[in-house]
Amino acid sequence: MVALFSSDNSSLSFRTKLYEVNWLLPVLVGLIGLVGVAMIFAATDGIWGRGAAQHALRLCVAGAIMIGVALTDIKVWYALAYPAYLGALVLLIGVELMGVNVNGSQRWLDLGFMRVQPSEIMKPAIVLALARYYHDLPRWRVSRLSGLIGALAMIGLPMGLILHQPDLGTTLLVGATGVAIVFLAGVSWRVIGIATLMASIGIPLFIKYGLKEYQQARILTYLDASRDPSGASYHITQSKIALGSGGVSGKGFMNGTQRQGEYVPENRTDFIFTVIGEEFGLIGSLMTIGLYMSVIGLCVYLAMQCKAMFAKLLILGLMTTFTLYIFINLGMVMGLMPVVGVPLPLISYGGTVIMAVMGSFGLILSAHLHRNNEFPRGGFG
Amino acid sequence: MARRSKLKTNDSALEQAQAETTLSRRTAIMGLGGLGMFGVLGARLYNLQVTNAENYIALSEDNRFNYNVLLPSRGQILDRHGEALAVNIPNYRVVLIPERTPDIDKALSEVRQVIDIDERALKRIERDLKSNPKFVPITIKDNVEWEQFAALNMGIYDLPGVIPEVAEGRAYPNDGIFAHTLGYIGRAGDQDIERDEDPLLRQPTFRIGKTGVEAAADKSLRGSSGRLKVEVNAMGRIVREWPDPQDAATSGQDVFLTLDAHLQKFAAEQFGEASGGISVIDCMTGELRTLLSMPSFDANLFVNGLTQADMDRLNNDPKRPQFNKVIGGGYPPASTYKMAVMLAALESGLIDPDREIFCVGKMRLGNRTFHCWKRNGHGPVDMRESLKQSCDTYYYEISQIIGISKIADMARRLGLGQDYDIGISGETKGIVPDEAWKQARLGASWRTGDTLNASIGQGFVLASPLHLAVMTARLANGADALTPSLMIGQDITPFESLDIDPAHLAYVRDAMFSVCEEPGGTAYRIDSLGLGGPKMAGKTGTGQVRGISASERATGVRKNNEVPWELRDHSIFVGYAPFDQPRFAVGTIVEHGGSGARRAADITRAVLSEALKRDGLGPRSETNPSTETL
Repeated sequence: MVALFSSDNSSLSFRTKLYEVNWLLPVLVGLIGLVGVAMIFAATDGIWGRGAAQHALRLCVAGAIMIGVALTDIKVWYALAYPAYLGALVLLIGVELMGVNVNGSQRWLDLGFMRVQPSEIMKPAIVLALARYYHDLPRWRVSRLSGLIGALAMIGLPMGLILHQPDLGTTLLVGATGVAIVFLAGVSWRVIGIATLMASIGIPLFIKYGLKEYQQARILTYLDASRDPSGASYHITQSKIALGSGGVSGKGFMNGTQRQGEYVPENRTDFIFTVIGEEFGLIGSLMTIGLYMSVIGLCVYLAMQCKAMFAKLLILGLMTTFTLYIFINLGMVMGLMPVVGVPLPLISYGGTVIMAVMGSFGLILSAHLHRNNEFPRGGFG
Repeated sequence: MARRSKLKTNDSALEQAQAETTLSRRTAIMGLGGLGMFGVLGARLYNLQVTNAENYIALSEDNRFNYNVLLPSRGQILDRHGEALAVNIPNYRVVLIPERTPDIDKALSEVRQVIDIDERALKRIERDLKSNPKFVPITIKDNVEWEQFAALNMGIYDLPGVIPEVAEGRAYPNDGIFAHTLGYIGRAGDQDIERDEDPLLRQPTFRIGKTGVEAAADKSLRGSSGRLKVEVNAMGRIVREWPDPQDAATSGQDVFLTLDAHLQKFAAEQFGEASGGISVIDCMTGELRTLLSMPSFDANLFVNGLTQADMDRLNNDPKRPQFNKVIGGGYPPASTYKMAVMLAALESGLIDPDREIFCVGKMRLGNRTFHCWKRNGHGPVDMRESLKQSCDTYYYEISQIIGISKIADMARRLGLGQDYDIGISGETKGIVPDEAWKQARLGASWRTGDTLNASIGQGFVLASPLHLAVMTARLANGADALTPSLMIGQDITPFESLDIDPAHLAYVRDAMFSVCEEPGGTAYRIDSLGLGGPKMAGKTGTGQVRGISASERATGVRKNNEVPWELRDHSIFVGYAPFDQPRFAVGTIVEHGGSGARRAADITRAVLSEALKRDGLGPRSETNPSTETL
C-alpha cells in the first residue's frame, strides 16, 4: 500500500505529498462545484432533494477520489494507461451489444450495482493512452505513417463505437481531444495540412452519409433557424431568451421567470447555464467562465512544470477535453452551435461526468505532484 | 550515426529539447486558440445580455403572459316600465381539473351523489378527460340546480380538484308569454362567425341572440369583452392572474321594449287555452303595448338544451306553440275587412251611404249563390247599418260597383298587405288580392266572384292580428299612417299621411261605434268596457275555414261545436277605445274560436279595459263624451 504512494526515484512521504499537492486547483474546482449545487438548487425550484443534495454528495465523494488519485504515483497511471484504454474499449463494445436504451440512444451499461457510461470513461482513458503512446514513441516516428497509424487507430476506434450509440457530441469531443494531443506531440505541419485537406472533403461527405437524420436535422436547423420555428430550435430559442433576458445583472437568485415557467428544457443538466445567465446576468456568466478559465490556465501552468512528456501530454490532453466540454456546451446554450447534448462539467447534474472530471483532475494533480519524476519509455525496470 | 536505425527508440538530447520547445509553442498556440474561443463566448454573451437584452426580455414576457378573454355581462331586455323580460341568472357549474384530482373516479362518484349526471354526460366527460391536457378544466355539469349546487359546496373540501363555478346564464321569466318576441340565445354558428368579426363569438361559452329581440338587438345587448392578463408556464398552465380594472369587460346595454308586461300577461290569461294572437297598439305613436301569440312555450328550455321529448311535444302540438301567430299567421280577416270596402266606397263617391239595399240572405252571381251569414237576411240596410249588423249582401252589391282595385288600394292604405320590419323576423305580409296579384300568383284572371269574396274578407284575403291592429289604429287616428314599433329608441321615421277624407273616416268610426255600443250591433254589450264612462268602437269577424257545400246548406249548416277544432271558424275582433279620444287599438284572432266573434270580442274588451285602467282611465276618471273627430 505504501509502495503506491512512494516512488523509486524520490522518497516522498505521504505527508510531504499531502503538503505538496497544489491545493489551489481543488479549491477552484470546488468553487465551480458549489456553483453547480446552487444552480441545480435553483433549477429544481429550491428543493434540496431533487438534485442539489445529490450533486453535493457526488462532489464530495468524487473529491475524495480526486485526492486519492492525486496521491497515487504517476507511474501507476502510466502503467495503467493502456489497460484503462482497453478496458474502456471493452465497455464500449459491451454497450453496443447489451447497452441500455435511453431516449433512443444506447449509452449506458447496467452492471447491476451501478450504471456506467463507457464513453465518459473513454474520455480520460484515451488521453492516458495517447499521452503514453507519444511518451514512448521515438521523435522521428511522430510524423511518419508508422507513428500516425497507431494514434489514428486509438482515436478512430472509440470514435466509431461512440458514434454508433449514437452520440455525436462525445464522438467529436474524443476526436478533437485526440487530434489536440497529436498536435501537441509535434506532428509536422505538412501532415497537418494534408489532414486538413482530407477533412474538408471528408466531413461534408460524412455528414451526408455517416450521420443519422436527426443529427443532420440538428446541423441544418442550426445553420438555418427559419426552417423550424418550433421544435428542434425551440430549445435554443428558449435558451437564448432565458440568457438574454437576464441582462447585465440578472433577475436575482431564484427569481428567474423563464426557469420558473419551465421554458428551457433540461435546465438541470445540459442547459444549466441558462439558469446562471437568467438569474445572474452577464456578470454572473462571465464570472463563471472566469472560474473555468482560471482552472484551465492553472493546469497549463502545472503542465509546463512537469518534466516528462507523459505528464505534460496527460495534463494538456485532459484540459483540452475539459475546455471542449465547456466550449461546446456554452456554444450550444448560446445558440452558436447545434444541440449536441454535452453537459457543463461540474455544474450540470449528472453522475458519471463528475467522476470522470474529478478523476481527471486527480490525474493532473498526480502528474504535477510527481513532476520531477523522469521515467524511461516502455515501462519500468 | 549516419543513418537512423528503425530500432532506435531513444531520442537524443537535441530531439528532446526540440520536442519540448515544440510542445511549448504548440501549447501557446492552443492557449491562444482557447482564449479566442472564450472571447467568442464572451462576445456572444454580451450580444445576448446587453445588446439584445431588451428583445429577450420582451420575448420572455411574451412567453410568460397570455391574455384571457373576459366575457361581458349581457344586457337585459325590459318592458316599457322596466320590468325584466330577459335576465341574467347565475349558471351554477361544476368543473373538474384532472391534474388536481388524485382519484377522478372517486371524485365523480361523490359528485353524483348530490348532482344528477346522466349517461350521455358521463360519456362526454370521459371523452374530455382523454383528449384534453391535464390542466384544462372539464365541465361536469352546467346549469346545476341551486339545491344540488349548495349541497355540493358543503362537501367540497373532501373533493380536491372539483371546482364549483358561477357563470352567467339567461332566463326568461313570465312563463314564455314573451317567448316569440324575445327569441333566445345560443352558441354562435359558423355562419354567425363569418358574418360578424367580433372575436367574442369564437369563445366557446359565449352566447349570441339567435331569434327575436335577442337577435335583433344583439349588438347592443352583447357588450364588449375585457381581458385578463395571466402568467403561464411552458405547459400553458396558468400560474398567476394580473387583473387590471381598466381591462374589465363592458356589460351590454339593456334594451327596452314598448310592450307592457302586465298588459301582455293579462291578455295571456284572457286567452287561457285558446290559440291565436292579439296585438295592442298605441293610436298616437304606433308603439306596441302587447304582441302576444298563444299558446306559447317556455324559452328557458332552449337555454338549457331541449330533450327529444320536449322537441316532439312542441312540434306535434296542433296549436303550434312555436309559431308566432300574431305577426306571422295569415288568416282571412272576414268582416273586419269591411271597413276598407266602406272607405273605398265613400272615397270613390260611387255609393251613397244612405241608400239602402235589401238583404234576403243570399245573392246570385252567375251560377253561384253567395250567402249572407243571416239565413233569412237583414232586410233593408244602409251603409252604417251594414257594418253594425255585418250584412254580407250589402258588400257583395257595392263591391261590384267599386271594383277590386279601389278596395285593394284602400286596404293597403289602411296597412294591410305589407310588413313593418318591427325588428324581429317572422312577419307575414298577408295578402291584399287584386287582379294583378291573382295574375302573378295564380296565373289566372280575376273574376267577379273573387271580388265578392274579398269584400267580406274571405277568398284570397289574409291578414295577421298585427295587421288588423294597425288597420284599426289608422282608422282611429285618422291622420297618420301609423306603423308599429317594438323597441324603444328605434329609429322611427315620421308617419306619412293617410290621405283620407276625415269626414269619411268619421263616418266609418261612427259605424264601428254602433257595433259595440248600440243595441243590434254584433258586439253590443251594456257598458262594453266596464269602466263606466269610456266607450269603444270595433268590428266582429268570423273567419270561415271550411267550404260549406250546397248539400250542407240544404240540410242545415253544421254549428261550430259540431265540427272538429281545425274546421271551426276563426273568431276575429278589432276595436279601439276610448271612442272620443282613441288611445289604444287592438286586433284579436282566436284560431278556430267559433262563430260570432264572441271569444275574440270578449278578450278584446277585457284587454282594452285593462289597458285604459293602467293608463289612468278607470271609473273615477272623467271623460268628455264627444263625437268630435280627431
